[in-house]
Amino acid sequence: MTKWLGKGRKVYFLLALAFLVLSFFICVTLGPTSISFSEVISYLGEGASTDDPSGTIFWQIRLPRVIIAFLVGGCLSVAGVILQGLLLNPLTDPYVTGVSSGAALGAAIGIVTHIPQVPWLPALALVGGMLTLIIVYSFARRRGKLNIFIMLLAGVTISQLLSAVIAVLMLKAGRDVHQLLYWLLGSFSGRSWPEVQIALFAVPFFVVPFFYARELNIMLQGEQRALELGVDVERVKKILLADAAILTAIAVSVSGIIGFIGLVMPHLARLVIGPDHRKVLALSLIFGAAVMALSDLVARTIIAPSELPVGIVTTFFGAPLFVYLLRSRRRF
Amino acid sequence: MKYVRMGVALAVAALLVLAVPLVAGCGGDEESTTDASPTPKEISITDDAGNEITLEQPAERVVSLAPSTTEDMFAIGAGGKLVGVSDFCDYPEEALEIEKVGGFADPNSEKIVSLDPDLVLATVGVQDEVVQQLKDLNVPVCVLDPTTIDGVFTDLEKLGLLVGTEDEAKAVVADLKAAVDEIRSAVADVDKPTVFFEIYSKPLMTAGKNSIIDDIVTQAGGVNIGSASGEGYGEFSEEVLIKDDPDVYIAVKGSQDDPGDIVKRPGYDALSAVQNGTVYVIDDNLVTRSGPRVVEGLREVAMMLHPEAFETSQ
Repeated sequence: MTKWLGKGRKVYFLLALAFLVLSFFICVTLGPTSISFSEVISYLGEGASTDDPSGTIFWQIRLPRVIIAFLVGGCLSVAGVILQGLLLNPLTDPYVTGVSSGAALGAAIGIVTHIPQVPWLPALALVGGMLTLIIVYSFARRRGKLNIFIMLLAGVTISQLLSAVIAVLMLKAGRDVHQLLYWLLGSFSGRSWPEVQIALFAVPFFVVPFFYARELNIMLQGEQRALELGVDVERVKKILLADAAILTAIAVSVSGIIGFIGLVMPHLARLVIGPDHRKVLALSLIFGAAVMALSDLVARTIIAPSELPVGIVTTFFGAPLFVYLLRSRRRF
Repeated sequence: MKYVRMGVALAVAALLVLAVPLVAGCGGDEESTTDASPTPKEISITDDAGNEITLEQPAERVVSLAPSTTEDMFAIGAGGKLVGVSDFCDYPEEALEIEKVGGFADPNSEKIVSLDPDLVLATVGVQDEVVQQLKDLNVPVCVLDPTTIDGVFTDLEKLGLLVGTEDEAKAVVADLKAAVDEIRSAVADVDKPTVFFEIYSKPLMTAGKNSIIDDIVTQAGGVNIGSASGEGYGEFSEEVLIKDDPDVYIAVKGSQDDPGDIVKRPGYDALSAVQNGTVYVIDDNLVTRSGPRVVEGLREVAMMLHPEAFETSQ
C-alpha cells in the first residue's frame, strides 16, 4: 500500500500517523474537566451506556467534538491542497471560491429564522455553498472552458456581496447575533453526534483527489503543457473544483468558518514531504485533522469554564506559522 | 482581502454582542453619591457611568433608550413624561404607543434631538457613542445600568429626583424592598442549591459575576455556577456544566422556550436537574432587564429553587 511512498518517505508517514493517534488521545483526555487516560480506555471499552458524569462528558461531548474536528480539519486541508494546485497560487485557501460565504449565508438565514439545528442548519449551509459554486462556475465558463482566474475573481466578488447580506442579517439578528458570530469565527461548541453524521459525508470526497494526483502534478507545469501531455484538463478541473467546494461546504456547514488550516497545512505538508500531490494530500489530511483537534483542545480549555471560538486559535498559531514557512524559502 | 472583510463583519458583530448583555445591564458603578443641591431647586445626581447630571428643574420630556429605563419611568409614575423610547421597549403596554427612536445599539440621534428632550436615559457600553453625541448637543443624558437588585432601587430613586416624582419613587422602592425582604426571609434558612442559568444555547452562555442574574440567583437562595466564568455574560463549557451538575437548570425564554428541548440535548440526561425535573424556563424580561420587574424575576427564581419555602408562606 505504501509502495508509492518510497523508502525515505515512509518514516514521515508513520510519524504523522503516530502524531494523529497521539493527538486523538491527548484531545479526548484533556479538557476543562479531567478524565484520566485509563478512564478513556475503559469508557471506549464500555461503550456509550455509562451513567457516570465523566462517561457522559466523554461520549456525548468530547469524543464527537474531536471526531468533528478531525473531519473538518481534513476537509479544509484537502480542499486547500486541491485549490492551491489548480490555481498555482500558494496564497489560496478553501474560502476563495466563495462557497464558504454561501454556506455562511445559508446558515445565517437558518439561525435568524430559528429552523431546527440538526439537520436543517447544516443542510441549509450546504445548499447555500452549492448554489454559490454554481453561480461562480457559470461566471467562469467561457466557450466550454473553465477560466480559473475569472473563477477566482467571481468567487471573491460574490463572497463580498454575500458577506454584506450576512452583515445585514447580523444587525437585525437581536440575541441570535451570538450564534452568528460564533459561526463566522468557527466553533465546535455544542456539536455532537448528529453533526458527526453530517461531517462523515466528507470521507468519500477525501478519496477523490488521490485519483487525480498525477494530473495535479502535471498541471503544476501549466494547463498548456498538461494538455500536450494528454491530460483532460477541463474534466480534471471540474471534478477537483467540485470536490474542493463540497469539502469546504461540509466543513463550514458543521463548524462555521475556520481560518488558516486550509492555507497552512498544505504548505507544511509540502515542506516535509516534497511537491508530489499524492503525498501532499495524504500528509495534509493527517496534519489538518490533528492540528484542528489540538486547536479545539486549546479553544475549550484555555479560558475554561468559558470557551474560545476555535477559528481564533487557528489564526493565532496559523498566521505566525505561515510567515515562518514563507521565510524558510522552501519550495511551494 | 477576505480577512479585511471578516474583520469588518467581526467588528459589527462584536459591537452587537456587547449589546445583548447590556440590555441586561452589566458593568457600571453603584455609587449613589447624591450631592446636596447647592441651590434648592437645582437637581444633581451621579449616574451609573460616574457622570454628574444637573437639571434646573425636573425633566418633562424624557427619551428612554432601554427597556429597563422605560419600565423604571412607568414604575415611578412618570411614564407620561416619556416622549421617545427604543424599538425594544414593550412593557408596560402604554410604552408601545410612544414614538420610537430606533434600536438598542443604533438609536437615531437625529430623531432623539427632534423630540426636544430635556433628559435622555441610556445604558453603558454600546450606547456610549450616542450618549457622547447627545452630550455634545447639550442634551442631559443619565446612564442607568445597575447590576444588582439594590442598584435597581437606587436608580429608581435617582430617577424620581430627575423627573420630579421623588415621593412616588420612594414609595415604590419601599414596596419592592419589602417584597424582596419577604423572599429573602423565606429562603434564609434553607440549603442553597446550585443553579445554572442559560442565557443562550448555541454557544451555551451564562451569567457571571457582576450581572443582575447572578444577584437574583444569590438573593433567591441559590449558588450560581456561572459565577466561575468571570464577569458579565459569557460562554460556558458543556463539559463543566455536566461535571458541576447543577441542582436546578433555568433557561431564559428566547434561548429555549420549551424545557423539553433542553432535556433532549446530548449528554444532558446525565444532569441531576434533568433527572429530577428541575429544569425551568423563565421570562427573560424579568431577569435580564434591570428594571423594577427584577423583583418578580427574583420571586419566580426563588420559587423554582425553593418550592417548599413558598407553599407555606402563601
